[in-house]
Amino acid sequence: MNKTKKRHHLVDAKKPNLLEETFPHDLPPLIRLGGPVIEYIDGEPVEFDFGAIKDRQIVITDTTFRDGQQARPPYTIEQMVHIYDLLSRLSGPNGVIRQTEFFLYTKNDRETLERCQGLGHKYPECTGWIRAVKGDFRLVQEAGLKETGMLTSCSDYHIFQKLKFRSRKECMDSYCEVVDAAFESGVRPRCHLEDITRADIEGFVLPFVERLMEMSRQVPEEQSAKIRLCDTMGFGISYPGAELPRSIPKLIYKLNRQCGVPSSRLEWHGHNDFHKVHTNGGTAWLYGCDAVNTTLFGFGERTGNPPLEGAIIEYIALKGDLCGIDTLVITELADYMRSIGLPIPDNYPFAGRAFNTTRAGIHAGGLRQDERIYNIFDTEKLLARSPRVAITDKSGADGVAHWVNEFFGLKGDERINKIKVHRLARWVIDQYDVEGRLTAISDQELEAKAREFFPDCWEKYIEGQK
Amino acid sequence: MATVEERVKAVTAQVLKLSEEEINNEDNFTADLGAESVQSIELVAMFEEEFGIEMDEDAALAVETVGTAIEFITNVCKEQGVDLEG
Repeated sequence: MNKTKKRHHLVDAKKPNLLEETFPHDLPPLIRLGGPVIEYIDGEPVEFDFGAIKDRQIVITDTTFRDGQQARPPYTIEQMVHIYDLLSRLSGPNGVIRQTEFFLYTKNDRETLERCQGLGHKYPECTGWIRAVKGDFRLVQEAGLKETGMLTSCSDYHIFQKLKFRSRKECMDSYCEVVDAAFESGVRPRCHLEDITRADIEGFVLPFVERLMEMSRQVPEEQSAKIRLCDTMGFGISYPGAELPRSIPKLIYKLNRQCGVPSSRLEWHGHNDFHKVHTNGGTAWLYGCDAVNTTLFGFGERTGNPPLEGAIIEYIALKGDLCGIDTLVITELADYMRSIGLPIPDNYPFAGRAFNTTRAGIHAGGLRQDERIYNIFDTEKLLARSPRVAITDKSGADGVAHWVNEFFGLKGDERINKIKVHRLARWVIDQYDVEGRLTAISDQELEAKAREFFPDCWEKYIEGQK
Repeated sequence: MATVEERVKAVTAQVLKLSEEEINNEDNFTADLGAESVQSIELVAMFEEEFGIEMDEDAALAVETVGTAIEFITNVCKEQGVDLEG
């Protein structure tokens, strides 16, 4: 017999409960976390307090100019300086986008860095990226950088197959020599543990990190080694119960609580090969990495990195506050990236041309009644992007009316109802039923028809444009 | 002058491309006369034009049969002072 465990009774209501404590609309929907969360590690239950995220100093870091550029033709110096300037505005005074990293190898690399530094922004702080080669520290010092990332690949795929070390010990000694060189140069090393989600964690990663921690005790805290966990192939898994080396919770626990690397010195760097990149970044935050490394619009090697703008929205959702972030800059960045030839898919969240555009008439009807029904949050306020409808044979008169009102910018009583748009709605339907059209109707075509069918509104609209 | 019923049926016939004789007061605009979504909007718009009235969008679109439309329009005309006798 099917026994139910608990009876649930209808809670009747005459007024809607819109759950505004979670869906405030003037902010992205909040991620409200209870706790504690238990993960079994080495056979023992371990507690994680996700609720603490509100008070932790979590940050976003950026690698648009390093990993991001490995996925596309190089940016010009002017382009990078402009993007850096916009990143700084997006970041806000609290430095939510805390750092960004630069190549240092060519004259252009160094000039770009110099010009970005010349803007005088506090955030994002400029850091470098070099090979694990002692001589490269000269470049870091000459650029006046306090911190640099360096490759310290840690899977046997890299240690033996790529880097051709004869043993793990030889590899570790070699990495540590370079870390020593960083300390001697007065530069903080950020060790990029490449391919960590495919590495022997107990046999190599933890002993190496313990040695880094010991070495770091010899230098001031601000110079101590940072650890970047690089999920180079996107193998990381967020699910509780997943096993090492793929388990993000277990990886972070081992580094954070067994090796004693403080959260402030742990950073997650993901790739999107298995469509997990954004959630894996958020998971890293929750389990104890203070920094999540990202690129604008997720552009990065192969399938890309955690999208910076996605991390921004996640950050606000976790903190329940804008924290000084100027979200409108996301739209400026998207427009700028498109203008320099970076393709952003139309349905790409928060930034694609059609991310909040509905094609279904029934959804347009909902939008007309209350924007909150079909808009994820107040996209006009946070992104300067009001919800739109794309007109097809599925749009109906509701969709057409929404388009007309948005196009003419009509508010309140000025808004035109769907009865008044019947001629335009008929023209749309005939495009498909009579003309056999198969594509969406462009804004330009609709504008021409709006001028024909709504001459009074058109006149006011043109006046307003002057 | 034509009655409200004759004028409603004439508009309905024109919009739905039917002959007036085919239209009965009991007919449902959608189920019996085949009005599609956009044609329902056109019907309301054409009734407004024919009678020189403004109808509440939701109330007008909730009208289902020809007979109810005749009643509804008669009431709106009275409310808005439109002379149906002249």
